[in-house]
Amino acid sequence: MASFKKTQIRSLPKIGQKVTADTLYWRKLNFPVTVKEFGPIDYIDVMPIEPYFIAVSSAAKVQIYNPITHQVHRHFTRFKEAAYGASIRSDGKLVVAGCDEGHIKLFDIGSKSLLRIFKGHKGPVHRCKFTADNVHVVSFSDDKSVALWDLPSETEIIKFSEHSDYVRAGCVSSISSDLFLSGSFDHTVKLYDARSPTGSTISVDHGSPVESVLMYPGNSIFVSVGGTELRVWDMLAGGRLLARVSQHHKTITCLHLASDGKRLVTGGLDRHAKIYDVQSYQVVHTLDFPSPVLSLGITPDDFTVVAGMANGLISMQHRQTPAEARALIPKQSLKDQKKSQTTYRFRLNADFRNINRTFNPATDVEVATKNDNSLVSRYDMFLRKFQYSKALDTVLGKYIRKKKPAITVGVMHELIRRNGLKSALAGRDDSSLSIILTFLARNINDPSHSKIIIQVANTLLDVYENSCLTPQSEKLFLHLQEHVNREVEYMKHLMEIEGMLHILLASTTTQTRRGPVNIGQGPPVKVMLPSAAAAANATMVYNVG
Amino acid sequence: MANKKARGPDKAKPNTDNIVVKKQEDAPDIVRQPPVFTDDSKYLCIASGRQVGIYSVQSGDKVHCLKNHSFDIIGLAIKEENVLYSCDTSGEVIEWDINDGKLLKKTSIAVEGLKEFYSFHYPRNGKFLVSSPSINEDGSSLFMFEGKRIKKIFKDVGKETQSIAFGCDQGDGSLVIGALNYQCDGVMVKDTKNVIDRKHMTDKRKFTCIAMHKEKLIMATGDISGRILIWHDFVNQIRPVKTVYHWHTLAVSSVCFSSEAEYLYSGGSEKVMVKWRLGGKRKQFLPRMGSTIKFIVNAPDNICVATSHSDNAIRIIDSTNKINRAIFGLVKHDPIRGLEDGESKKESVMPTGLVFDPRTQGIFFNSQAGFLQLFDPLRDSMIFNMDIANRNVLTDERNTVIGNAEVFRVAVSPTGEWLATLEVWSNMSVGYHDMNLKFWRYDAVQANYELNTDVTMPHHDRITSLAFQPGLLGTEYPCLVSIGRDLKFKIWRLVDDTDIYRQKESWTCDVAGDFRKMMPTATSFSEDGSLLAIAFQDTVTLWDPMTINLNTTLSHNLIEESIELMEFGRDQCFRYLVCASKSSLFAWDVISKGLVWKVGKLRSPIRCLVPDPKSSYMAVVLQNSEVFVFAPSSSKPVHTITNVMSSEPIAALFVPRPNPLANSPEWLVNSRLLIVDDQQEFYSVDDNSVCGFDEKLTTPISHMDSLPWTPFSAIKAQKQISAAKQIVPVIHQTNGIKGYKSVQSLLETSTSTLPPMSRICNSFMIDLMIKHDPKSMTVKADSENGATNDLPTLMNGHIESKMPALKEEATQQKLLTLDCQWITKN
Repeated sequence: MASFKKTQIRSLPKIGQKVTADTLYWRKLNFPVTVKEFGPIDYIDVMPIEPYFIAVSSAAKVQIYNPITHQVHRHFTRFKEAAYGASIRSDGKLVVAGCDEGHIKLFDIGSKSLLRIFKGHKGPVHRCKFTADNVHVVSFSDDKSVALWDLPSETEIIKFSEHSDYVRAGCVSSISSDLFLSGSFDHTVKLYDARSPTGSTISVDHGSPVESVLMYPGNSIFVSVGGTELRVWDMLAGGRLLARVSQHHKTITCLHLASDGKRLVTGGLDRHAKIYDVQSYQVVHTLDFPSPVLSLGITPDDFTVVAGMANGLISMQHRQTPAEARALIPKQSLKDQKKSQTTYRFRLNADFRNINRTFNPATDVEVATKNDNSLVSRYDMFLRKFQYSKALDTVLGKYIRKKKPAITVGVMHELIRRNGLKSALAGRDDSSLSIILTFLARNINDPSHSKIIIQVANTLLDVYENSCLTPQSEKLFLHLQEHVNREVEYMKHLMEIEGMLHILLASTTTQTRRGPVNIGQGPPVKVMLPSAAAAANATMVYNVG
Repeated sequence: MANKKARGPDKAKPNTDNIVVKKQEDAPDIVRQPPVFTDDSKYLCIASGRQVGIYSVQSGDKVHCLKNHSFDIIGLAIKEENVLYSCDTSGEVIEWDINDGKLLKKTSIAVEGLKEFYSFHYPRNGKFLVSSPSINEDGSSLFMFEGKRIKKIFKDVGKETQSIAFGCDQGDGSLVIGALNYQCDGVMVKDTKNVIDRKHMTDKRKFTCIAMHKEKLIMATGDISGRILIWHDFVNQIRPVKTVYHWHTLAVSSVCFSSEAEYLYSGGSEKVMVKWRLGGKRKQFLPRMGSTIKFIVNAPDNICVATSHSDNAIRIIDSTNKINRAIFGLVKHDPIRGLEDGESKKESVMPTGLVFDPRTQGIFFNSQAGFLQLFDPLRDSMIFNMDIANRNVLTDERNTVIGNAEVFRVAVSPTGEWLATLEVWSNMSVGYHDMNLKFWRYDAVQANYELNTDVTMPHHDRITSLAFQPGLLGTEYPCLVSIGRDLKFKIWRLVDDTDIYRQKESWTCDVAGDFRKMMPTATSFSEDGSLLAIAFQDTVTLWDPMTINLNTTLSHNLIEESIELMEFGRDQCFRYLVCASKSSLFAWDVISKGLVWKVGKLRSPIRCLVPDPKSSYMAVVLQNSEVFVFAPSSSKPVHTITNVMSSEPIAALFVPRPNPLANSPEWLVNSRLLIVDDQQEFYSVDDNSVCGFDEKLTTPISHMDSLPWTPFSAIKAQKQISAAKQIVPVIHQTNGIKGYKSVQSLLETSTSTLPPMSRICNSFMIDLMIKHDPKSMTVKADSENGATNDLPTLMNGHIESKMPALKEEATQQKLLTLDCQWITKN
């Protein structure tokens, strides 16, 4: 006996953003907690070890936030003017920040004391970083120079003045203490090696003022952003351009790695943060923010996403914990409970086996398999019993007809196939007829369903042609007619437009396809371009698997 | 075309007398006669064509195959324990031993005036019951043979096996015989011992089947309204008591009592077997059995029931009402009902035709509604049966035909990786139709087809043809052409839909086009896939499949009818495009763009036009079952066969052989022709020297494998490696006259289509020059040894002469682009 096959419900794939693993992952971020600062948030740095404190530099202070409590853990205000680019050392003990007067200040997070001041830059220092050995600091300054400082002796070791404009971006290698990268407003990104004091080893042209640079942990690839472009460079090949990605429509301001270096996040003045796959540089998700994003910070476990914005807002978003997710969707938790009950029922059986330890399942014992019938939906059950009216009633329930019209249409389709539509539609009272009529009127102009809906509407008209109707139903029939008339009007307009397009296309094809190829005696054949063909035919393509 | 030739075999050709048409016997109809259980219920005897298969009920496997009849078997019966009677239409009765499958006795019951028989029954006391044609055309007469005595029991009974029943042996050796008369409105009953004759009539409903219990005086009849009547004491009473059992909506096709008359089984086209408890209200159902039930047979010990179905399957149902085993023959497709009047018989019986699968060397064609089967013609077995539509099979209502989704077209990609199927479902009564084009990919790991893309309504009206582009090297994405009655042709291409999460490919419509609002009727790709021909009524258009640019339109005054079938020639005849309209056959030369030949006014409409993939020949099958084999280059047939079959052919296919056949006509060397008729019987046009199918399959078994193991054989190494180099004879790759092909192509191409001399001069000169690379030097040295072939191989000519045509277009395009630039610059 062949089992009953389920009714096929056909739904068109939704156009627009597809639900992927990444969208699900990044959608799990909670509603943001926002903190308002006085000035734009210049830079956010995340402590690489727990408790993942976040250093935020804005206006004339540097604040260290606790990502869990969203409270300020420490703040450093010993700046005369604006403080820039506060960066935490990899052991989480020290923080270094540049400032407008050209000094670089080093603080102890534990005691809040100012430990060192590195003086020597003639312009404001926007970025400064600890090198991988934790005893040097690299600073990137507006006086077009990049300098390497020694922490213990508070002295400048080396200075590169190769840029011709402000140096506003920089980063250090995470493995080598001698390599660092600078990006400047003169469109260049330069790689320095502290062991070769003669100058930069690699210099690449980004094409627009560089806002931020980032070196991948493997030390073979670096990324620069500036303008609306993200560029990826191969360091080992001497600065070969690997990829150019332009996904923002305003200047990209910040860069960050996420998900263990598998995803790259860029924030821009267009108020979006885009998440890229680092293999293909395809955007996998977009985060939206209320104001232009200036800086981004993501904790290494992806638990907290912090964004600093131009209007001084800091938004901190947490990932949902499973408990929170359950609290948000109470229905799901109910389902879980049910599931546990059923498993308990099976467990009884297992317990029984444990008691009769001597019992040995012989080979001829027939194992009863679970019946699949529990998965059969109600409408399939009625269809199986040839109860067509009931099957139609089931799918005209409020939830299905409003939220999942594809199911209703699928069952109607099956009824047409089974020649049961007439009997399913006949003999209905006023209220159920009005439900059907409203459903038809609402869906008759949906291109994926219209073919079946029109068939149903025709059958309905055939059935109720000669019966007297209440004024309410009559009104609904007129309403349906109105919908149809409007749709016909739209179609006429569309066909006019299509005709115009055909003229344009035909004129272009005759221009290009002039020549001896066409030996036939007639006029050149009209061949629609793929896009036009797709639009004109509106075939529904379902991809499976 | 070959009216003169068709009169007799062509004597000029060698071996043509040997060509015979054989009916494929090994994949026959197993449900024409009801199966018979042996007394111990261990075996099931099934008549199929001229042979009897003995199947084990436990495993469903074939135990014996009994072959000796020379006509179709009309009935089987168990004589006593393990002795089986079988009777064929000529009246030959053979006794078989079931246990060892041996023939015991051969007798003939045919006597003067009785030569042909319809059905055969054996009530177990040395008497045979046979029905034989009577004077009345529609009916038959029932005779009883008792030794040598012949007694006429009834006249004017129905022809079918189900219309005769016997039984009611109440321990006194009596035998009651019941039969439906041929008008099916009455039941005739005869008690042979007490000599009582009765005729019972009911209302106007016609009976369809009758059954009697072996011992009890009880009879069951089914009728066309689905009603089952149980008759009690029908021998003695003039108006017997009847019980009505009515569940079926359609006609009951078979009824059967259980051995103790406790239950009654019934079945019909609802595909449901109903198990009635006699005298009670309860009944059990076994629904969705796959296809219409034709016969139900109960095992003597009540353990199981066997049902014969119209899809050529016998299912064995155990006592818990579950299908235990199924015995399949080649699945037959129930003809589609409710098609429009203009459709040919092929569209209803086997809409897919025969489609060759290069991967398995099998043939795809329809099986049950919505299913597709792959049949291996070499082994005569079904490889698999595949559910394409994945829909519940719907049964008719009493007054309305409810159609099912049917597979209408199938195309297989040249590598066999892709399978495209078109399923169509139409409901004529509401004017609604539905179409799905499905693309399946063969998964070598899972060893099955996976659905890749499902397109709903690929065309607005029925697709008439699907074709994959051949000749791709596997590097390009495959391409499919579909033409439909909505006047459009569409090119479907596989597109890469991979993103970072998964690898995916899917099919999408690349181009949709039409041509002067004419109906596309046929399509074909050239053998190398470089040219696509689409016939629009009487006009043939040639397209470049890559760019979908119209190359040429071909039409001629002589051709007025719409082209129905079209095929490019293969191999040496690559340049000919053979087209068939209803009554004429003609060929275009696609290089010179001229009509080469035309044969008009054929005696019968053309049914199929099939090219042989292994040679350049083609075959045309006419409706009156004439077959012409010809090379596309000339209209003269190589071979003509008339009266292949008595029925109407609907599809044909050339099936390649595993090993070439020597000493046979050229068109039979590498393949043979299979033809299917409207009864879905296979006929093979083959050389007489090929006897059985098994012989072709025999692979030489090495002696090592078959020899018993000895201590010495263990010493011998399994593989022997030798350092001595084997001398491989050099095979000439390029021989012939230098530059012959370019000269030939220059001469063959018409002057009007030749590109300017200045353009082809360079390549022409290069072709004439001798290339001085060491490889060609050695070849040349070899060719001087005398093994050279002065004439060019045609294969070379084939490839070379195609090249200039392509080059020509390329230069034209270049010219065109240059031209444009010049305009824009000024």
